[in-house]
Amino acid sequence: MKSSLALLMFLAVPALMPGQNSSPAASPKLHASAIQIELIEVGDVSIPAEFRYAIYERLLERVRESNTFKMVFRSGDKAAKDYPDLVTLHTTLEAFKEGSQTQREMVPVFAGTTKVDISAQVTGPDGKPILDRKIAAKVRMFGENIYVTNDVAKRITKMLHESF
Amino acid sequence: MLLSILLGTASALAEQPDQGPKVRHVIGLDNIKHNANGHLKILNGAMHFDPDKDDNKVRDAKVPVASISDIFVGNETTQSGGTAGKVVKLAAPFGSGRALTLLLRTKVDILTVVFRGAGGDLHGAIFALPKGQAEPMRAQLVAAGAHTSAPPELKERPNP
Repeated sequence: MKSSLALLMFLAVPALMPGQNSSPAASPKLHASAIQIELIEVGDVSIPAEFRYAIYERLLERVRESNTFKMVFRSGDKAAKDYPDLVTLHTTLEAFKEGSQTQREMVPVFAGTTKVDISAQVTGPDGKPILDRKIAAKVRMFGENIYVTNDVAKRITKMLHESF
Repeated sequence: MLLSILLGTASALAEQPDQGPKVRHVIGLDNIKHNANGHLKILNGAMHFDPDKDDNKVRDAKVPVASISDIFVGNETTQSGGTAGKVVKLAAPFGSGRALTLLLRTKVDILTVVFRGAGGDLHGAIFALPKGQAEPMRAQLVAAGAHTSAPPELKERPNP
């Protein structure tokens, strides 16, 4: 009984100590009322066109649903220039490995994974970068390969929501 | 009697308007749900997507052919059988559902239509079509006046 009480106290003490278990100080939030989302740049990396446009479309949907910004503009939208604090999301594909839905369903998690590595950069109204992150997305379980684009959009939206 | 039935059927088919190929809208058309099934056709200088069900916000989504700046054709392996197929696979005993994966595979063509809205905004609408139907649809769109920079041939991906 005594030993179990001691063990309990041993486990509880770190949680009660101030500053020991807290997350690192969050960086100050950025502010912008509108964002323009550009089509992903692929450079020399080979990726089917449907993946490229699916990432773009899913990003637009997810960022709109998150309500992080009052306005979300598509690439090329002329109405965006009316917002002086407009920020722009640029994404660059760094790596793409297309897996196999059949392999994933036969041997989930271990085979057939589709992977995408992306660099996401947000630039301010002056064009200078204000945020730069690397994003890695995967489809390991069920679903078509193109659903990796959903994971990309989810992760980038989360990054934006945490930063703005 | 038989001849009259055959003639009647033939004339009915002849009068039926061309519905276009049956497609699945993956993403990209405003107010149309993801994975909505419907028909894709070209009419009066516009590409129309007519959803099968009325649960979408619009009955018909249309894209002026002149606003189409690029068209890409690709392919994907997907699972046929819909929700029923998924349920059967999950319910099959002793992991035998995984074997069904091999039987329920279907190859589909993927048609990506890139277009600009009235304000210059970029859109990419993605459709899944039965195998072999994306290329004719692409040719129809180009013939109707759509622009494209992508090469016409469909390249089979080795491991979709």
